[in-house]
Amino acid sequence: MSRKPTTQGQEPLYETISRVLRHNIVSGRLPQGLVLIEGPIAKLMQTSRAPVQASLRMLNAEELVHRFRGRGYLVGADGQNPKPIRKALDEYDFDIPEDLRSTLAVRGTWLRVYDQVEAEIAACQIFGEFRVIETELADYLGVSRTVARDVLSRLNERGLLRKGATSHWLAGPLTARTLREKFELRSIMEPAALRLATDHIDPVQIARIRARIDRGETKGAAELEDALMRYCLGRAPNSALVEIIGNNRLLLSSMDKALNDLGLPVDTVALDQYRTLFDLIGSRQVDAATEYLKEHLRILSFKSLARLKIVALIPESESIPRYLVRV
Amino acid sequence: MPADLRTTHKLASPPRVKRRKLRVRGTDVTLLEQVRQLAVADLGFDIEFESLDFLTCQHRAAMDPLNYDIYEQCFHNLDIVWYWGALQPINTDRITQWDNIGNLAKAGGISKYTWQGHGDAPVRKLYVQPDGTLGQQPMPQISMMPTAHNVDSFGFDRRLFGDEGPEGSSWAWLLDRRARGRIALVDEPAIGIFDVALAAEANGDLTFQDIGNMTVDEIDSLMALLETLRQQGFFVGSWVSPDQAEALVRDDRVSVQSMWAPSYGNLGAMDGIFCESFPREGYRAWHGGASLARHLTGAKLDMGYEYLNWWLTGPAGAVMARQGHYMTNPEGVREYLSPEEWGYWYDGGVARCDLKGPDGKTVVRMGQRRPGGAYRERVSRIAMWNTVMDEYNYAARAWNRFIAALGTATP
Repeated sequence: MSRKPTTQGQEPLYETISRVLRHNIVSGRLPQGLVLIEGPIAKLMQTSRAPVQASLRMLNAEELVHRFRGRGYLVGADGQNPKPIRKALDEYDFDIPEDLRSTLAVRGTWLRVYDQVEAEIAACQIFGEFRVIETELADYLGVSRTVARDVLSRLNERGLLRKGATSHWLAGPLTARTLREKFELRSIMEPAALRLATDHIDPVQIARIRARIDRGETKGAAELEDALMRYCLGRAPNSALVEIIGNNRLLLSSMDKALNDLGLPVDTVALDQYRTLFDLIGSRQVDAATEYLKEHLRILSFKSLARLKIVALIPESESIPRYLVRV
Repeated sequence: MPADLRTTHKLASPPRVKRRKLRVRGTDVTLLEQVRQLAVADLGFDIEFESLDFLTCQHRAAMDPLNYDIYEQCFHNLDIVWYWGALQPINTDRITQWDNIGNLAKAGGISKYTWQGHGDAPVRKLYVQPDGTLGQQPMPQISMMPTAHNVDSFGFDRRLFGDEGPEGSSWAWLLDRRARGRIALVDEPAIGIFDVALAAEANGDLTFQDIGNMTVDEIDSLMALLETLRQQGFFVGSWVSPDQAEALVRDDRVSVQSMWAPSYGNLGAMDGIFCESFPREGYRAWHGGASLARHLTGAKLDMGYEYLNWWLTGPAGAVMARQGHYMTNPEGVREYLSPEEWGYWYDGGVARCDLKGPDGKTVVRMGQRRPGGAYRERVSRIAMWNTVMDEYNYAARAWNRFIAALGTATP
């Protein structure tokens, strides 16, 4: 049985980006020694940074680019020691082939649209139960119904939406019960993931986070929670578990974000707890770290319940986009 | 204008001494003009009262934390403002009468043998725990200094329900079919919901596993029941402020309704006809207090503590007593009340003369006896407290929709 060749629309985004970069390097459009940084490339290709990172790692493995002492990668194989050239990509004859351009454009729209809808649908749930009107959504975003439906399907997969008995898309309500259940799941899954991840966590990365906390550079608990996910739990060699953890957190972090946007002050106690947690992880005290994470989640759950009460003070009409209709 | 003229003018004006001022944000439960005047006289600085309805007060205390110095509210309204970070912990070693503060607030019940009641008993929100949360494990810092409190029930028309008899009345009366079309409810979600929940449980319509922390399903059932009753025309409407409740009684539009202690002295010709109940299931209680705003420091913080300490010195407690409310340190209030006042309000005895309310109007006639009896008797029969439960966001939104529908149903 032979594998079907994947079409470009279905291949991972980083593959597409790699093909564009490879095309420009091999054809000599980009000179040896040019510094490639993910941000500008992501902007040029209308994607997020993550796939660009993946793509640069891939090209590094192919020895088309290499790491150097600065940020980013240099064009060319290692060992040639060219002088780094720091110039914008559009100063060169950077070319995105036509067939790849349309793939990227569709991807770009989809990504832009997805993030916005995810945030809005997560945020509305604190106000109750809503029906999502697909045609209204497409109209609201200025995209086709196909794109709108794709976005909603993805939200469904991630647990932010569900199909009602009559096949309508439904979201919410986020209640204390939902919150408690999600935290219960967290306290079952996250310590387990942390344990699995022990040997895969990069101690240098943890030291870096610790230093940021000490210097007071962290902007709040949300940033540290992300770091815990990315550099610790996310390293667990069980991608299914990592994905479930990520999805389970979605609604919680969007509620936090909604409240922070309203001016909820920084929770300094939580910052202290993250400091201790990263200390334990950094010093490889696995048992202590997992126990501490459980206790941290217990307190966080308690505070989240209290914060959910605050939501009762927020009037609903101010923040609900028109494609959402109260059930 | 020439410079010399300006100088002359300046010299001619009297020297201006800027008086210090403390700004108090709260509700009309404790923000009485009589209290303000007494405090100003004793404290030597100006005091500004900003009296708001419950929900607005809570909302502004959280969202607008810089424009008040003291937050006077109830323990059940505290969570929201506390977790918003608008308040600062109170050091109990700076509360001179901390030892005299009653066990109802400090320990949860008037004695260790009494049941604490469902919901937000003040002790569950009193102590600031090391992790920044509020809990009942005693700690040297507290969230709110306990002051006035009371136990509430509902008011009923004797012409319809008769006298209470030896069994007492029941919360079931609040949703009684006999009163159909003549029932009113208070609009505040942390209070009104529990009045009807107690009623629905008492008459057997619903049961709650923990009435102080209802589940989503229980809230749905309660709201469905209320909606049915609304469609059957049970309710006259809701009221926001106690004077609206009093007007409903004086206009003879209600046979039973949510009602608070001070209102019973303002019923005019309906006095003696519309009575405060002494429900056999127990009371719904509340406990007020005063908190310090987060932004207070230095001299301003000292003024805050002075004001808090003043609340426990007696004069404020006497004003509270004359509208039916108790103070956390009853003995401190006693010398500021006449023996007749103390006998009626705190001891539950027969009034030996007419008694006046805070504004000087007679609120109790000679010969009357306070329903429910003495302080200890009443506060040892607390079924539950006003509560902002875990599902408050869900319940309050459902409740507010019901209240809005109620408003349109009865013009």
